[in-house]
Amino acid sequence: MSRARAAWDTAWLQPVLVVLVALLGGLFVSDFQKVTLALWVIYGLVALSLDLVWGRAGIFSFGQTAFFGVAAYSYGVIGINLSPNTGETVTALIGGVVVAALLAAALGYFMFYGKVGDVYVAIITLAVTLVLLQVITSTAGPQYHIGNAQLGGYNGMTNIPSMEFGYPGHPGDQMSQPDTYTFAVLLAGLAFLGVRMFLASGFGRVITAIRENELRTELLGYDVRRAKVIVFTLGGAIAGLAGGAYAGWGSFMNPAPFSLPAAALIVIYVLVGGKGSLVGAFIGAVTVEWLSTVLGGILPNSTTLVVGAILIGVVLLVPGGLTPLIGNVLARAFPRPAPPRRQAPSGAGFGAAGRGRELQTLGLVKMFGGLKAVDSISLDFPAGQLHCLIGPNGAGKSTFFNLLVGQYRPTEGKILLEGRPIARLLPHQRAQRGIGIKLQVPSIYRELSVQENVWLAAFAKRSSTRQAEEAVDRILTRIGLVGRANDSAGDLSHGEQQWLEMGMIVASSPEVILLDEPTAGMTHEETMRTVELVRSLAETATVVVVEHDMEFVQRLDAPVTVLHEGRILAQGRLAEIRLDDRVLDVYLGRTFRASGN
Amino acid sequence: MDQALIIVISVLTSVATLLLISVGLAVIFGLMRVINLAHGEFLMLGAYAVLVATRNGISVWIAIPLAGVSVGIFGLVVERLLIRPLYGRILDTLLATWGLSLVLVQAVSIVFGPATNGIGTPLGSVHVGGYSFSQYSLVLITMALITLTAVYLLFTRTRYGVMARAAIQNPAMARALGIDTARMNMLTFGIGSGLAGLAGALLAPVAGVVPSFGQAYIAQAFMTVIVGGPDVITGTSAAAGLLGSSYSLVSYLTTPFIGQAALLLIAIVLLRILPRGLSGNWRTYL
Repeated sequence: MSRARAAWDTAWLQPVLVVLVALLGGLFVSDFQKVTLALWVIYGLVALSLDLVWGRAGIFSFGQTAFFGVAAYSYGVIGINLSPNTGETVTALIGGVVVAALLAAALGYFMFYGKVGDVYVAIITLAVTLVLLQVITSTAGPQYHIGNAQLGGYNGMTNIPSMEFGYPGHPGDQMSQPDTYTFAVLLAGLAFLGVRMFLASGFGRVITAIRENELRTELLGYDVRRAKVIVFTLGGAIAGLAGGAYAGWGSFMNPAPFSLPAAALIVIYVLVGGKGSLVGAFIGAVTVEWLSTVLGGILPNSTTLVVGAILIGVVLLVPGGLTPLIGNVLARAFPRPAPPRRQAPSGAGFGAAGRGRELQTLGLVKMFGGLKAVDSISLDFPAGQLHCLIGPNGAGKSTFFNLLVGQYRPTEGKILLEGRPIARLLPHQRAQRGIGIKLQVPSIYRELSVQENVWLAAFAKRSSTRQAEEAVDRILTRIGLVGRANDSAGDLSHGEQQWLEMGMIVASSPEVILLDEPTAGMTHEETMRTVELVRSLAETATVVVVEHDMEFVQRLDAPVTVLHEGRILAQGRLAEIRLDDRVLDVYLGRTFRASGN
Repeated sequence: MDQALIIVISVLTSVATLLLISVGLAVIFGLMRVINLAHGEFLMLGAYAVLVATRNGISVWIAIPLAGVSVGIFGLVVERLLIRPLYGRILDTLLATWGLSLVLVQAVSIVFGPATNGIGTPLGSVHVGGYSFSQYSLVLITMALITLTAVYLLFTRTRYGVMARAAIQNPAMARALGIDTARMNMLTFGIGSGLAGLAGALLAPVAGVVPSFGQAYIAQAFMTVIVGGPDVITGTSAAAGLLGSSYSLVSYLTTPFIGQAALLLIAIVLLRILPRGLSGNWRTYL
């Protein structure tokens, strides 16, 4: 059975088991304990949202408690105004989720489309949370109300209706606090299930891919910004669900969740439960809350002190949280089997695709300050041909390559793909138009398996998990890594990593393939095998190779362009170029002699 | 006319306040790439230092620089114990300093109690026509200018400044040249902390001294530094000027409440347009 399908089919198992255990457990505790437990489950739900956003997508957010708080207030406002007439608070709960999700989406749009760094995301979410705290605490006056709901400032909002499920004319019974436990468990179970389903889907794997290697994911053609906004919004919605449930549970809401200690607690739940382990979010919340109840009895008024100390202690002593620590001990006790012997790539025949497209540059210029790194280069790479770019250090090869990739924008000039201008497109947009890119340093997902690496590349073009998996098997055979399909890509040798990356490029069925020094760091034997691989790429696509290694270029037996000082110095077959005096001068470091010498 | 003068002074006071609270953060974040989430609490400690000193009969004008020095020394200790083991792990530093911030707030509130303590604003007020403003505003504005100039001179014109920047930009090379990078980093962190303490001390007479003193400023300080971008002096000044004047004008026209929201909104929209901050493309030295 296919892996994605299998993951999908078992995604429900863990949440259902956890819910059953929690509900059964509820039969054996007092109503008083249930009231507290309900609160802990709700905290676990917020932790789940952070675990998704931080643990799985790698976005550190201070904002989860802000989304929680905003949703709780929205639940209050909608509930107070509507429930006397409608007899239910379901709309209030949904309303809270929607408001929180919208806030997260708007914030996510500004942060991720602005491409601000990870640390800035942390600071911006922090600032938003603190400003919301200031805003909401200053609404104490009677003039701050929405309909019948007084915001109440630091005193909080009171008389929020508990959960009820009636309909207009037939108000439901307001849910008692102990019953809220069952409700919270079911709600949390649903959210847990939803997150697992989401992560088991193709899109979920893309999220992991972004966390592991954002650049590679972008070069495969995924819109990283959009994916981040989506996962951030989902996180906001889950935190919002918890917020609504919280307001219904306590019938009261104050600005405390917007404060720093509240945000710190959520991070601690996740760290203690294990970053990225979804069920750990709940385990962490319950463990920490139970501990702080016990500690609160011993040291009254110092909860924050303890929380802060735990945070410092975890970061200094067990970075990465407690679960990986346990995982490491287990891994030492049960080591993984040794990887099987490697095979060489067989090269030929990647399966049918197009014949490639024509790539042209017209008068391409790139200036850095006063320096012309690329000085008006016009080159034509005909469809379905292999082409090599060579030149000494500083010739402008890398700059030219980066212009083709989209890492740089040209100062002047055009880049045409089959006659259409692409110079203004972002890297992922170029990838979507059929350009496959391999940068010099192997850029793969080191923590993911070889098979998952190729799958992500294949999925970028097919967006059907089944088709993507068929392509994976074919490509693994071609690059000779079938035997290592389930190993972490980071465990491969340097040469194998380069082959894997080329396999990933092929998996996205590109029309044009750009390779920057594909043999960098390879042994001689590996380089010779790579020749076959690169030549076979040219059967289905236009291939441009930037290379240093002359023997490799010679074996490729393709047209060569020599760059020097940002310009084209010579063009032709390597055999002819080798006889060109100017090229020899450049490579041997001799100064130019008068032509005709 | 009189009204215009008052508005100008209130705008300048807002800008000066933003500058004072963010310059220490800018030194630590801009030069060291360390996110000090306890920055607000360093401000708070500065304010409490002034409170303790004045209660013991020390003049407020001596208490303020003293507060800066004490918090600077405290910063040296924090660097040694908490920051040094975490260099290169930005997110972990952030979490650890966050923990420190929580511990400091609670510790101070256990020692001094959670209530607000006032320090009388020194100097009187000036009357201009029908309006008046506190002379202390002029002190804040002047101190902001002095601080800015001092930091600029320190990092560009002294041996320490050059060595500190070298230690941060290329630690391996700096060590090869015989610079004690660990000591340089410790000093830089101490200076950043001292600036925070000084800012807190200067603001103590105009704001209530409470354990949550820092929380009122931290969001604005971070926004200023981020909007400012990589250049510590020019970027932070430009950001403080822009954000401070828009905050103060919006507050003047509506309420401080909306002024706060406007500051945040402007900062976020600016980051969408200039992700690397105002000074992102300037390429000056500081």
